[in-house]
Amino acid sequence: MIRVENLVKEFGGARILHGVGFDVGERQVLGVIGASGSGKSTILRCLNGLERIDGGSIECDGVRLEAGLTKAEYQRRVRELRRKVGTVFQHLHLFPHLSALGNVAEAPVQVLREPRRDALKKAYELLEAVGLAQAAERYPDSLSGGEQQRVAIARALAMRPRVILFDEPTSALDPRRTNEMRALLRRFAAEGHTLVVVSHSINFITGLADRLLYMEGGEVVEFGDAQQLLNSPREARTRDFTQQAR
Amino acid sequence: MKRTLEAAARLASTAVCLLFLTPAAPAQEALRWGADPSGGAPYVYADPSHPDTYIGYEVEIADALAKAMGRRAVFVPTDWETIVQALQRGAFDVVLDGLEPTEDRARQILFSKPYYVFNLQLTVRKGETRIGSLEDCRHRVVGTLSNTAASRLMEKQGIPFRGYADPVGAYRDLELGRIDAVLMDVPMEMFYARSNPRLKPAGEPFYKGVYVLGLRKGDEKLKAEVDAAVDKIVNDGSLETILRKWSLWNDAQLELRAASNPNGGAAAGESSGVKFEMTSATFNWRGAILRLTQAAGVTVLIAFGSMFIALGLGLLLALGQWKGAAGLRFLCTAYVEFFRGTPVLVQLLFLYFGLPVVGISMPNWLTALVGLGLNYAAYESQVYRAALEAVPRGQWEAAYSLGMTPALAFRRIIFPQAFRVALPPMTNDFVSLFKDTSVAFAISVWELATAYREMANASGEFLLLGAIVSAFYLAMSLPLAHLARRLEARMNRRRAVLAVESEVAA
Repeated sequence: MIRVENLVKEFGGARILHGVGFDVGERQVLGVIGASGSGKSTILRCLNGLERIDGGSIECDGVRLEAGLTKAEYQRRVRELRRKVGTVFQHLHLFPHLSALGNVAEAPVQVLREPRRDALKKAYELLEAVGLAQAAERYPDSLSGGEQQRVAIARALAMRPRVILFDEPTSALDPRRTNEMRALLRRFAAEGHTLVVVSHSINFITGLADRLLYMEGGEVVEFGDAQQLLNSPREARTRDFTQQAR
Repeated sequence: MKRTLEAAARLASTAVCLLFLTPAAPAQEALRWGADPSGGAPYVYADPSHPDTYIGYEVEIADALAKAMGRRAVFVPTDWETIVQALQRGAFDVVLDGLEPTEDRARQILFSKPYYVFNLQLTVRKGETRIGSLEDCRHRVVGTLSNTAASRLMEKQGIPFRGYADPVGAYRDLELGRIDAVLMDVPMEMFYARSNPRLKPAGEPFYKGVYVLGLRKGDEKLKAEVDAAVDKIVNDGSLETILRKWSLWNDAQLELRAASNPNGGAAAGESSGVKFEMTSATFNWRGAILRLTQAAGVTVLIAFGSMFIALGLGLLLALGQWKGAAGLRFLCTAYVEFFRGTPVLVQLLFLYFGLPVVGISMPNWLTALVGLGLNYAAYESQVYRAALEAVPRGQWEAAYSLGMTPALAFRRIIFPQAFRVALPPMTNDFVSLFKDTSVAFAISVWELATAYREMANASGEFLLLGAIVSAFYLAMSLPLAHLARRLEARMNRRRAVLAVESEVAA
């Protein structure tokens, strides 16, 4: 579903990603772990086109981004890519002027041109699915952190993406909610979505990810099966991190 | 406003001069005479070749009168519109500025014997064929000076007219086609219009009025002195010499000689035996309120129209400054700095008098509407810009990652949030725009401030009319200010409620 090869990203001459490569199969969950500043969030921002890549390629469900494309062609492909990829940001970025229902229904009406009535009905069902039917008419700043996060997830799901990117989905959750979130994400994978989850929490990733990518200083230290990487890592640096973070 | 300031500055400098001069020349008492020198030819005006000295036939008359009285003439520049009030305040001893005796002025000041008999002359554009007399102007707009015999005559006859502060502006607007005719006293018409190849007189001079000097009530002794001096210069031929020099002499002036002849019928103390028409301002309170209401309507039109322009153009400027290419950004910034850095009054005068030079000529109310709109657009653009920048970057990214184009993201996500932030300061700006419409009086737009000035000058009812006009302004701006406060309060309240709710929820 996703294949990333030799991905390079620079900011003002400083290299943030040094030739990152990995792949994720359909319905798989990829966990991306690493310390702050290791480049894991930048990978997500490249995957949904918010950052233009400076080297290598990203291929996702038949859409291919390459460093050498013209600006217009790159933009065209990014728009295509975003129809397949949904994002749940760490800070959510809910639209404060719209109700929970409005947040979820806005893009289907405006981008997919769905009839308003259908879009609202579907948005309501999505909120119901994440347990927020009673909060549909409320505005984001009257919702708790966990409720806001579930609105953000429903908003991403409303566009029916094949791939969903999660940036630190547990940063605002207490331990009980963390377990609920893990179960919810597993359900999405079971329903046919491919997930990329960035997290610094080994606990959360354990039992969620099928594959794991450990980043350090903008480089891939180790990439492979989640069980194997957590239990018997090939690299000493991976073991140090997973033991410290546990 | 410019004229008033100029006059004030000159007044001040004259006052300073007087302070120093008076003790130096105690032998000769001064005769301080007031007149408006701006656009004041041929009465009194700055000599084009020596701008620091004033010339004009009334300067020479003042000198002749002072000489006859054994005094020294001292000129005090003032503003025509408020000349009676300035006299009453004691800014000078006599008005000598082509003043016509009128009933309403007679209630406020004394008149001397007349020193000049004048007629009115209608002027039209060269190609004009429809207008031959004042009667033909019933459905047209005629320009004249505010608060003169001509303006009162038209007011009485129900002919629509526009009052100007000086003849130059009236004749220029006639040339530009903003008005259809100009009615002026013959001396002004001779000086400003007769030699203009694009204008021509319509019909013969008509109406007969006189010019007199104005004095403060109670100044009877000075009036006797002045009347004697007028008699002297009328009869000894020195007035005729002056008038002939300025090509203002005609046989009508002989009536003054007969009238002032001590052997004639005119009794001492009576102002004149000359038959002349006396105009009066047709002032009544019902009419005043009606005209003020019309003026308020114009104020509302200008305020709403210019705010509409300001909101639209301001948004474009903000976008250009915020996301535009380097060249566009520079242009937008230059626009904003220009309109914020120069007085709106200057901008209006430029639009009204400057643009016709390049062939763009708008009626005065539209000039005010556009001018204020352009000016406020500069301010609103900064309100927008601050509000747009207050929307977090993440809102853009969230919109993009949902597949929105930049235009869609702006329209549906960014702008609605920014507009909420911008609304309270914009409402406040709108309130001050309401008051700023008063600068439109500089280009003779009949809005509230102009209405107040003209009607109060004509009637002397500065206090009552001022209270009424203020009430009009307040009736319009208070609801707006109230609305602004409510909007702000509602936003704050919502925020407070939400804070409590989310605490409860957490």
